[in-house]
Amino acid sequence: MTLPMHTTSTGFLLPSIHSAPPFFTQQPNPATQATLTEYWTKLILSYARFRRLFTLRVEDAETTGGDWDEVLRNPRINRKLPPSHLQYIISQMVTKDLAVHEPAKQTRSVLLYWRLPEEWAEVLHEWASSTGQLNTIMTFYEIVEPPIPSELSSLPISLLKKVIVILTKTARAQVIAVADGEGVRFLPGTPGR
Amino acid sequence: MHRLGGVGIAAFDRQKLSTQSYAQLSNQLSKTQIDNLQAQLTLFRESLLRFASTHREDIRKDPNFRHAFQQMCSNIGVDPLAGPRKGGWWAEALDLGDWQYELGVQIVDVCVSSRERNGGLIEMNELVRILTKLRGLEAGAITEEDVVRSIKTLKPLGAGYEVIEVDGGKKMVRSVVKQLDQDQTIVLAVAQTHGGRVDEQMLVREKGWTEARAQAALQNMLLRDGLCWLDEQGEGNTVLYWVPSAMQWDP
Repeated sequence: MTLPMHTTSTGFLLPSIHSAPPFFTQQPNPATQATLTEYWTKLILSYARFRRLFTLRVEDAETTGGDWDEVLRNPRINRKLPPSHLQYIISQMVTKDLAVHEPAKQTRSVLLYWRLPEEWAEVLHEWASSTGQLNTIMTFYEIVEPPIPSELSSLPISLLKKVIVILTKTARAQVIAVADGEGVRFLPGTPGR
Repeated sequence: MHRLGGVGIAAFDRQKLSTQSYAQLSNQLSKTQIDNLQAQLTLFRESLLRFASTHREDIRKDPNFRHAFQQMCSNIGVDPLAGPRKGGWWAEALDLGDWQYELGVQIVDVCVSSRERNGGLIEMNELVRILTKLRGLEAGAITEEDVVRSIKTLKPLGAGYEVIEVDGGKKMVRSVVKQLDQDQTIVLAVAQTHGGRVDEQMLVREKGWTEARAQAALQNMLLRDGLCWLDEQGEGNTVLYWVPSAMQWDP
């Protein structure tokens, strides 16, 4: 059979392997499953990046109507990713530092790193300097809900905190207590110091 | 009575003389024959070379022409790749050696990079399709015959590249040193006629196997060799097996 690529209603191009029926079943052969996990990881991260999704839950494979339906299901071949298989893939992604459990101390929901925190740090600092926000104090809210949409719009606060910590380590940001919580001041500086 | 050769002692001399001249004549004759043959051979070789160099581009670009040329070579017992020197004078004259090796490298490339999903077994048509895509239009089309030839040139590497024929005449290229047993070959053939899909019942129905035999063959392919993938979501939650090397993939 030929395995066609497919463009979803949101405009995402699903790879050919998504049309392969066994792609959705967890494989008993460890080598085969490793291949499958790799394909799934790539697919999940690229879809997340495409739609700017930050969270993936095991639940997404259990119920319909969520953001992940296009990827976790393939109605054209009548296959769907069983929750247990998704759980396994998620755990593998956490092992490879491509996702973290969020909130911590549970394993059914993850924050996806389609950009690594280090990469987000560069994006954030670049945004702050290009929009003239260096040396001013900003709240977290101002960063993730800017009046003009940016790369950082709707970035989860927990991820933002991690990213700011990375910037403070190279003296490119300072965390400052403000009246209603925390704020941050960005400082000029070069990466990788 | 008059006898041929006469009588008496003179007859012996005469006979000896005629034997001698016969031998001389025959020597002369075979020498001219050999000379003649050598001249012909040189001429043949020259014209073949001239042919090869004038049509070099055609041979490299046009699969039909290449096929005809190789057909001609094998008819007259010349191997375009063989010869005393590395690659052979013939291969050098044609540049076909490089061409063949280049194709060989591309075959290895495709086989190795698709190995993780097909377990080291790829269907010939699929291989030719991917190769054609990989080489682009400029390099000219290639045929199954070219692939078979190139794989032969890979043999000295001992990497186990081999063209195998499964039940029903389909050709597959194997890129791992792994012996396929008889049953696996049959499973592959069945899968190929069903677009990669195979299950126990199919083997029982079509090949008259017992369920135990079908199960054993499929489990071996699944668990031991990684040649097929499990699918637990068949109609009515039945268990199916899929042979990725019998499916057509886009990169």
